Amino acid sequence: MNDPHPDGQSLLGAAVLPCGADVDLLLEQAAVGRGRVLDVHQRECVHCQAALGEFTALWAPVSELAATPVPAPPGLTAAVMSQIRTLVRDVWYTLEVTEIGAVRIAARIVAALARDSARMIPGVRVALGRSTEGKIAALAEKATFGHRHPNAAVGVLGRTAVVDLAVAVTYQDPVHEVARDIQRHVTATLRDQVGLRSVTVNVTVDDILDADDS
Amino acid sequence: MNAAQAGGPDVGDAYLVARAQEGYVDAYELLVQRHSGMAYRVALRLTGNHHDAQDVAQEALIAAWESLNRFRAGASFSTWLYQIVTRRALNKVSRGQAASPLDLLPDMTDPADEPAERAERNFAVDAVTDALLALPFSQRAVIVLHHFEGLSYAEVAAATGSTEPAVRSHLFRARRALSKKLEEWREVATQ
Repeated sequence: MNDPHPDGQSLLGAAVLPCGADVDLLLEQAAVGRGRVLDVHQRECVHCQAALGEFTALWAPVSELAATPVPAPPGLTAAVMSQIRTLVRDVWYTLEVTEIGAVRIAARIVAALARDSARMIPGVRVALGRSTEGKIAALAEKATFGHRHPNAAVGVLGRTAVVDLAVAVTYQDPVHEVARDIQRHVTATLRDQVGLRSVTVNVTVDDILDADDS
Repeated sequence: MNAAQAGGPDVGDAYLVARAQEGYVDAYELLVQRHSGMAYRVALRLTGNHHDAQDVAQEALIAAWESLNRFRAGASFSTWLYQIVTRRALNKVSRGQAASPLDLLPDMTDPADEPAERAERNFAVDAVTDALLALPFSQRAVIVLHHFEGLSYAEVAAATGSTEPAVRSHLFRARRALSKKLEEWREVATQ
């Protein structure tokens, strides 16, 4: 391949090559990784071939840097969501008192465990903590004696909890069975992992998605 | 257990955005899990340091949530977030000055803000990082969004509040500027 600038002058100082080719377009071609994909003119033109070779070599470390993974710092999502949840709701706690002291678990932890537990059930595409409204709100209020925030996805009092989940399931999965599985699995999870005694899980299936609907 | 293991992200952004707009904070959490990596990565490329990048990513993700009611149905959440991150990064490197959409792609005759001092590096990738940070913000932004993030001209235009022809012009200028800096580095490195 010929020296693209035998007189020591950079190709980047020119607008066009001696053959008339636009330097910016050649630079773009190399920058997007097509420096070795030559068109009809370039296959016959030493100026273009030299320039594309030069630009491809120049941009190799750029492509390398672009391809280098940049992991997000751990805790970024948690920090964002912590601020957002602080903005939207108060924190409530479960309470278990024994002779060696009290254990309190934030309602949002209960909600997160319930949500993640629901997502483990086959057929569940997404499970979201639901803002309770209407009749279910009344049920939740009664069961937890009003110890819940109106916009919380879970109401807790002592070792009693009412969890409301909105879920979307995959089309053709038996919706009723999926909902029952969610109730059973979430109830078991909260009893085992949080130590709750009385757990009510209200499931609202309000979306059915096709298998390829992502 | 993360959401991916639990099956949570098996729905599109549009679904989650719609649910987040209805008040489901959990839906927004899934969006944050999905896009926080991109927000941080772009912020890091644009600001050049971890602490500023973390601040920018965090502020952008919270700002996006606060303005979800202005998000248009059918738009791309990721393009929208690119726009917010880019603007926040510009604010950060401009020491908090407010930015209008046009500020993201200012007049191309603006002088390059060369760093006062730059240590010689031995590694090509480090040289690219330095060269990138030496570009004016508008040029850095189009390089990062197009060549690093793979956005199309139209998507870069949407993210910077500009037009496709303007993006194309800035990319031509930015590629030349970056190439010249890499050429300078190569000459020094081979001496």
